[in-house]
Amino acid sequence: MIEAFVEGLVLVLQWKAFAFMLLGIGLGFWVGLLPGLGGATTLALMLPFIYTMQPVEAFAFLLGMHAVVATTGDITSVLFGVPGEATSAATILDGYAMTKKGEAGRALGAALASSLVGALVGAFALALAIPVVRPLVLTFGSPELFMLAIVGLAFIASLSAQGGRGMLRGFLAGGLGLFVATVGQDPQAGIARFTLDTLYLWQGLDLVPVLVGIFAIPEIVDLAVRGSSIAGDRPQGRLGRGALEGVKDTFRHFGLTIRCSLIGTFIGIMPGLGGSVAQWIAYGHATQSAKNAQELEGFGAGDVRGVLGPGAANNSKEGGSLIPTVAFGVPGSTSMAILLGGFFLMGLVPGPDMLTTHLVVTFSMVWTIVIANVITVGVCFLFLNRLAALSAVRGQLLIPVILVLVFIGSYTANNHYGDLIVTLVFGAIGYLMVGAGWPRAPFVLGLVLGKIAENYLYISVARYGAAWLARPVVLVLIGVALVVIVYPLVQARRARTRKGAHA
Amino acid sequence: MRSALAFAAVCALAVLAPRTVEAQPAPYEGKTVTIVVGYKPGGGYDATARLLARHLPKHIPGSPTIIVQNMPGANSIIGANHVYAVAKPDGLTLGTFNRNLPIAQLLSVRGVKFDMTKFAWIGSASSEATILAIRSDLPYKTFADLLKAKEPVVVGTTGPGANTHDFPLLIKEFLGANLKIVSGYSSSSDIMLAIERKEVDARAGSYSSMARFIDRKLVHPVIRARASEPGIEQLPVDEALAPNPRAKTIMALRSAPEIIGRPYVMPPGTPDQLVRTMREAFAKVVNDKELIAEATKAKMSLEYINGDEALKVMKEVLAQPKDIVDEFAKYIKFGE
Amino acid sequence: MPSKASLALALGIMVLAGWGVFSTFSWPWKAALFPLVIGIPLFCMAAAEVLWVLFGSTARSEAMDFQLSTDLPARVVLRRTLLAMAWIAGFFAAIVLLGFPVAVPLLVFLYLKVPGGERWGLSLVFTVAVWAIFYGLFDRLLHLPFPDGLIVTWTGFG
Repeated sequence: MIEAFVEGLVLVLQWKAFAFMLLGIGLGFWVGLLPGLGGATTLALMLPFIYTMQPVEAFAFLLGMHAVVATTGDITSVLFGVPGEATSAATILDGYAMTKKGEAGRALGAALASSLVGALVGAFALALAIPVVRPLVLTFGSPELFMLAIVGLAFIASLSAQGGRGMLRGFLAGGLGLFVATVGQDPQAGIARFTLDTLYLWQGLDLVPVLVGIFAIPEIVDLAVRGSSIAGDRPQGRLGRGALEGVKDTFRHFGLTIRCSLIGTFIGIMPGLGGSVAQWIAYGHATQSAKNAQELEGFGAGDVRGVLGPGAANNSKEGGSLIPTVAFGVPGSTSMAILLGGFFLMGLVPGPDMLTTHLVVTFSMVWTIVIANVITVGVCFLFLNRLAALSAVRGQLLIPVILVLVFIGSYTANNHYGDLIVTLVFGAIGYLMVGAGWPRAPFVLGLVLGKIAENYLYISVARYGAAWLARPVVLVLIGVALVVIVYPLVQARRARTRKGAHA
Repeated sequence: MRSALAFAAVCALAVLAPRTVEAQPAPYEGKTVTIVVGYKPGGGYDATARLLARHLPKHIPGSPTIIVQNMPGANSIIGANHVYAVAKPDGLTLGTFNRNLPIAQLLSVRGVKFDMTKFAWIGSASSEATILAIRSDLPYKTFADLLKAKEPVVVGTTGPGANTHDFPLLIKEFLGANLKIVSGYSSSSDIMLAIERKEVDARAGSYSSMARFIDRKLVHPVIRARASEPGIEQLPVDEALAPNPRAKTIMALRSAPEIIGRPYVMPPGTPDQLVRTMREAFAKVVNDKELIAEATKAKMSLEYINGDEALKVMKEVLAQPKDIVDEFAKYIKFGE
Repeated sequence: MPSKASLALALGIMVLAGWGVFSTFSWPWKAALFPLVIGIPLFCMAAAEVLWVLFGSTARSEAMDFQLSTDLPARVVLRRTLLAMAWIAGFFAAIVLLGFPVAVPLLVFLYLKVPGGERWGLSLVFTVAVWAIFYGLFDRLLHLPFPDGLIVTWTGFG
């Protein structure tokens, strides 16, 4: 296995493969940056071009492109508050807030460094997990996946503000998300639920228009109201130093960064949980590291840990989701499904063979992810000053551009005007939520996990009756969910007693 | 005098001859043809369309550029509506969509604005063979074995409206097989994973999508629908085992659209000449060596079923009497 | 503002959840279960929030999210907010009526000139740059379908 590990690296470093990887990186850079260019869509568009390439070259190209998207998506989220990719939305909460405080450099540095750490963790998970992955994935059946969704939903408690009122609003937001997730045709009886008699709502609400609306629109309105630049006329200071500060933050909170990377990898490995969940759970976990109520309130207002968590998780998830694709031929997400198509073009059959006969190719993929991310992060750091300087540009110049990006980003989800209406509606809802002091993160969590939870619940009950509740992993996960729900209450109690002790 | 006549004759020929030798300028010269796909990029319909878009221009006089536009929504009803009512019938638009749309029209699904029989049919780029495959380590090797099963065999499906769901549903209802249908999996690959986990015992779907799992000996097919492909001709056909004519009609109705596996149409009212040109191009392109090479790599196999046959199938499906349609609707819903 | 917005949201959710629960009555139980399990608690929680806002203390809970800027006088904030919303809605209307390719440069130019008050030169150059990138990338390269605006269809210009 060690020889395969080294051989994989050698394969990637060959001239042609390397050149194609650079090409892929160049492409992926812009795909992640621009809302409206989805990673999955672009992968599909690129597939035909790899027909004439050798397998390793083709993978260097596709993976190089794909591995980078999660990193640069964070840049748009941090700088403009617009999600460059659906998987970068959580970075907006604290990342954009830091930019508004004039700490754009620091936020970008943190996002980039944590993305790199996450990518490395994910890539090495892919390498190391190979002997373990089959039994791992096979243990997690539908009941376990349902419980994982419940654990995810339990994080709503962490994402809510403290106190009874805060929890109520957090759960209201989460419940609204769950409710909105039921729109569309249900897979049990085929009833069109809440579709308002339109064809457009048949398939349910697409994530991207909702995210773009609920996050970007309130920020745009606020920017217009402030009438200043994003950073609000605050002195920028030396941006380069800011970036270094962000990198240092990544290592200052190294434990958190690693834990969130692992969360992302794990969720990536579980096919069927979807690509957008990891970042939110990581964000929820990051908030759990707050030591007192004041720190907790700092989240959403520019705490660097809120950037580190999602930044790491959305990259590590990529390495994680390669695992079921490679080991089982079962794609963990749309991008993976397209990569799978690429596999076939190359005459490779994903499945147990990839872990034995074609181990070298698998390792070359690992190396591609590692190298592509190192290169991208390196290049981004070179341009960091210029990127961060955008936050000092007059708001009046930026607003039309951001608006165009918002509308195009939303439209290209389905090439349908309905998406624009969705963006506007959720823009209004998002604005109200921000004005009312309701947290938006639980809403997204509910939206993303709603369908998954429902489907797996039905499958579990249909298949196992009530027996699924007694399965060992399910019981463990019930325990985890309870811990997650109770933790913020414990946090609050500890904060109060500490305050009481000091009083 | 004779030479004058000869000269006149030659002149006349010189004037007349080029018009018969030189054909009309190719109508597609310098134009762009758009293929509207009712799905997002990455799926089977989209991949087929893009493959065709790359190789069709060689076979169309004038070598137009062909681009693909995605118009997903409502399981391609939105795309079909667009090609039917909005796109201009000038020969520059093609549409491809879900093969089960005639069922949607038959069941009067709300929002359907098209009439399958009025499209200008080009044909189909392949036919889809549906099979039911069960896990190899189960003791049932043939369909006859399955019928004798005491324990229910769990079939995982995505949801009503897909052949993964409808095919085994009808087998259970009409052929009496002891199947338990569990729906809700988000994609067919999730079902394959569930099979590996032994959570689910069987899956129905297209032969092409399951071929690699059959080769790996994870599952083996036991029964198929009417359309066939090399490798599964020997399997029993569900219709043939139907206990009564009504059951047979309903099963046939479900599987009829599968022969038109990748439908391609042009807007109603497109001039016959252009339709014919496109049909000829399709017939030629499926034998194009480069296309076959690419398709084999991508594990796609294309064959041309011509437009008249496609139209015939559409008319058959849509001409069913009301009582058959009502009975059909009890089992089959049009869906995701 | 915070409590008014909270009230609006909570009332809205009550209506939504109520309508949702009501709709499930005509569905088979498999399709109705989840919306019911979510809708009923949602309705109750929203009602609780409404009551809390109307009768409870005015103490605002700090959500872990960004706060709208409060350093400007309320009247200015209100005017600018409404203006911003109007621009957003206007852009949407322009897209529907005129089609994306026309609406994009139009919006960019108008926004730069009118509220932005930028110079002619800068506005034009900027607009052209944005339009070129938009057109080149999304239309030429990706062939995204941008339907003609409604006005075009109505007057038969296109």
